[in-house]
Amino acid sequence: MPTIVCTAKVVYKKTPGILELTDTLLQWTQNGQKAPSVRVPYAEAASLFCSKEGAPQVKLKIALFGDDNGHNFTFMASNPVALGEREKFKTELTTIIGRNRKVLDASSKLPTAPIPSSTTPIPQVSRPSIVPSRTSASRATSVSSDSIRATPIIPGIDPAADFRHRKNVFLNNPDLAVLHRELVVGGHITEAEFWEGREHLIYTQVAQDSQRKGKSGVIVDPRTETVDGVIQLTPQLIQDTFEQYPVVAKAHSENVPSKVFTCNVNDVVRIFFFTNTDTTKLSEAEFWTRYFRSKLFNAHRASIRSAATQHVVKDDPIFDKYLEKDDDELEPRRQRDVAMDLFVDLGATREDHEDTGNEKDVTMQAGKQKGALPLIRKGEGPSSKRLKLTTDEREVEGIDIEDLHDLEPSAGIALEMQDSQRYFEGQMQDTGQDGTKESLDIKSIIRNTVVNLQQWDLNLSQVNSLVLVLCYHSSKMFLKLKVERKAYDAALVSMTQNVHARLDAQSRKNDIPENLFKQMRSCQSAANEFLRHFWASISPPMSEGPTLGPSTPSQRAAKAAKMIAFLSRTHEKVTALAQIAQQQSVDPARVEVAMQPVLRAVDRALTFYHNKRLGQRLDQ
Amino acid sequence: MNSSHLSVVVDLAPAHWHRSSLHTPSILDLPSFISQLLAFLNAHIAARHENTLAVFGAFPGESVLLYSSSDPPADYPPSDANSFPPFKMVNSIIIRNILSHLESSTADEQAPSALVSALIKALCYINRLTIEFNASTSNAAEGLEPLALPDPRILILSVSPDQTASYIPVMNSIFSAQKLKVTIDACQLFGPETVFLQQAAHLTGGSYIYLERRDALLQYLTMAFLPSPAVRETISVPTQDKIDFRAACFCHKNIVDVGFNQVSYQDPAASQSGQAFTATDRLFCVEVTPLISSVNPPKNGWRSSGYTIAGLGSRRLAAFRSYRIH
Repeated sequence: MPTIVCTAKVVYKKTPGILELTDTLLQWTQNGQKAPSVRVPYAEAASLFCSKEGAPQVKLKIALFGDDNGHNFTFMASNPVALGEREKFKTELTTIIGRNRKVLDASSKLPTAPIPSSTTPIPQVSRPSIVPSRTSASRATSVSSDSIRATPIIPGIDPAADFRHRKNVFLNNPDLAVLHRELVVGGHITEAEFWEGREHLIYTQVAQDSQRKGKSGVIVDPRTETVDGVIQLTPQLIQDTFEQYPVVAKAHSENVPSKVFTCNVNDVVRIFFFTNTDTTKLSEAEFWTRYFRSKLFNAHRASIRSAATQHVVKDDPIFDKYLEKDDDELEPRRQRDVAMDLFVDLGATREDHEDTGNEKDVTMQAGKQKGALPLIRKGEGPSSKRLKLTTDEREVEGIDIEDLHDLEPSAGIALEMQDSQRYFEGQMQDTGQDGTKESLDIKSIIRNTVVNLQQWDLNLSQVNSLVLVLCYHSSKMFLKLKVERKAYDAALVSMTQNVHARLDAQSRKNDIPENLFKQMRSCQSAANEFLRHFWASISPPMSEGPTLGPSTPSQRAAKAAKMIAFLSRTHEKVTALAQIAQQQSVDPARVEVAMQPVLRAVDRALTFYHNKRLGQRLDQ
Repeated sequence: MNSSHLSVVVDLAPAHWHRSSLHTPSILDLPSFISQLLAFLNAHIAARHENTLAVFGAFPGESVLLYSSSDPPADYPPSDANSFPPFKMVNSIIIRNILSHLESSTADEQAPSALVSALIKALCYINRLTIEFNASTSNAAEGLEPLALPDPRILILSVSPDQTASYIPVMNSIFSAQKLKVTIDACQLFGPETVFLQQAAHLTGGSYIYLERRDALLQYLTMAFLPSPAVRETISVPTQDKIDFRAACFCHKNIVDVGFNQVSYQDPAASQSGQAFTATDRLFCVEVTPLISSVNPPKNGWRSSGYTIAGLGSRRLAAFRSYRIH
């Protein structure tokens, strides 16, 4: 069974279905169908198109070698989620396509054998002529074996979406996934039962998925990741570069033919481009190659160590036109936003402190190291953008200082306590009830005590041989203190046992073999799961969201009976585990002690169930 | 390790001692308790010449310093040939102070014993010692963080049951003790187990013991509480393994199994996704929570609503189990 890299619900040719990326191919399955009707082996993928962010529909188009029409998928999920899904596909596919292109370039630019573009999306045959690499070939041939694979559809309201959310829950919670594998895949309980009572996990997942991530504020700094000096160009990188260095965007729009850049009317940006014969204009690839070699790029690098790369930099007639002078003058080229927030401006109140304030720090000179200035000012760009985003929200808050408010007597919220009398009497209760019960004559008690103690004080002067008698064996008169050997022995023994037990527990190593321990764990978690279902069916929880579980009393009773059947086997399981322990020369008592709490809980459920049954029978 | 300081908080509630003296089969009355306590205290000061000692008595409604080795009394008791003068001094001063206080006390005898008040006095005393200790070092002159006393500890000997109203002061004392690096040992001599003392001992790394054999008090005292914390790294002392972590609810002062914390909603959008909750420290029992949650709080409204526990601050209580209100 191929592993699924990512999945999403998409519409293809106006039919809803599921788009999946396995480790060998991209496939689309129509809802309700078992076998995928569109399959694109990795080696087929030629290029990728995406709709712009912010477009009403989130689309992904994949073009095949020889079939520029390719396949068009529209993501069905709500916007932020769909974007995230597409992003996953995009990153995966981009690397695949990049690999394909490399292979293509390596194969000495074989003329691409055009495949008749098929109108019906049937699985494509592999084309070994284009795919000389062995790995790609094996990928292409492995397609047929995948056709058996069926998408597991889980009973629920919206199967595909549900499935995705559940999968995400499992991805974030491996323990739960293990439990699921044991119980559901093992056929003990149904999928719906498993999720009953865990709906909140799915809701949380949905909520998390629908949250939007902000933009990253990192300065664009493309680096060569391999030794051969290749920079991986991703659509994200291109977009970020354009955004942070508008001059590059300008150069791009002026030098790269626009018809190549936006080849599709549907706001689609093409990522990988074919070479182009127009000599005055640059092709996309040429543009970026020259850009990365130009002085312009070097000026944009987020490092002042540009001297090291000096030899790579060539004069470039096109890009040198766009070169700006280094921003290392005394005043920054881009003027600061003059309307500074008065609450952050330290200079705003300077004139109030001329006499009393601090001396100017003459040792600090801005821009002393000239080389660092452009970099610092470049860094200010993204950070000031981010700051602006946050300060805008804070504006009202900044003006509204708490101290300026009139001290209004706040009415507060009345805490209506049930039985509020008890709140005031709570303190009295501790002593009150005892006092009334016994009605002690405290005064006389005190008097007696005083008399006793006074006598004792007299004794003190008489009994004098009171050098430390710490042990019970010198049980003589000691400060009028009689020490009984028996009691002291017992106390000593019990305390020694206490210490001994603790040290014993500390020193004992956890030497239960991993295999047995795993079985114990799975037995415990399975029993807990059954218990959870049992109690949930006995007293169904109040829940806001729609529940997956059975709701009628008869269904619940059936479920409780089923769970009891499972639970009654727990004792056998534990006994079996103890036997295994004995075989593996582990003290079976330890296993039993470890499983004791589970067994107790199980017994409680069993007793409860039988009592209830008994009660029902008596009623009848 | 030069010295070890021990502050003993003794619960001297006459009513409970009276009950304890009637409790069969093993009777433990106040005179016999005091003689065993004095033997223990003598052992402490004999263990090392530099050891210091303070004894606080918790009487009904008030607490008193009974003895302090750092404030020597003006009048020394007449020494006699047969007793070791330091022992004689400690014993007679403690007895004299207890007696004079019992005779002259005007406080309400029915009031619960001021155990927490005595505990706080003991902490203040240790704090004072810490300051004095630091004055003699170079630390104070350099304005550095004060050094902690070597090995200070407090032993609470209690006969009274928990007073749920004192839950918050006890918790605050525990925090102060943690800050001063004071170990709190506790021994419940009579009555039910106390939840708060268990927590105090557990949270400060001390030892809590419930006196099972009431006729062998001295054995417990010497075995569990005589070794100072430094010595306990080598000698294990007995303690209780199971600790009751329950807390008292704010509303009725009952000790509750499950409590509810208040939740302030920061942002309606965020609260829907269940992420941006900040819980405050007030713990309510089940009876009150539905009422509170039925009141729709304005943004940060709880803070101004006027029932913040003074002194509790924003500390997270380790003992609190917090649950979210939805």
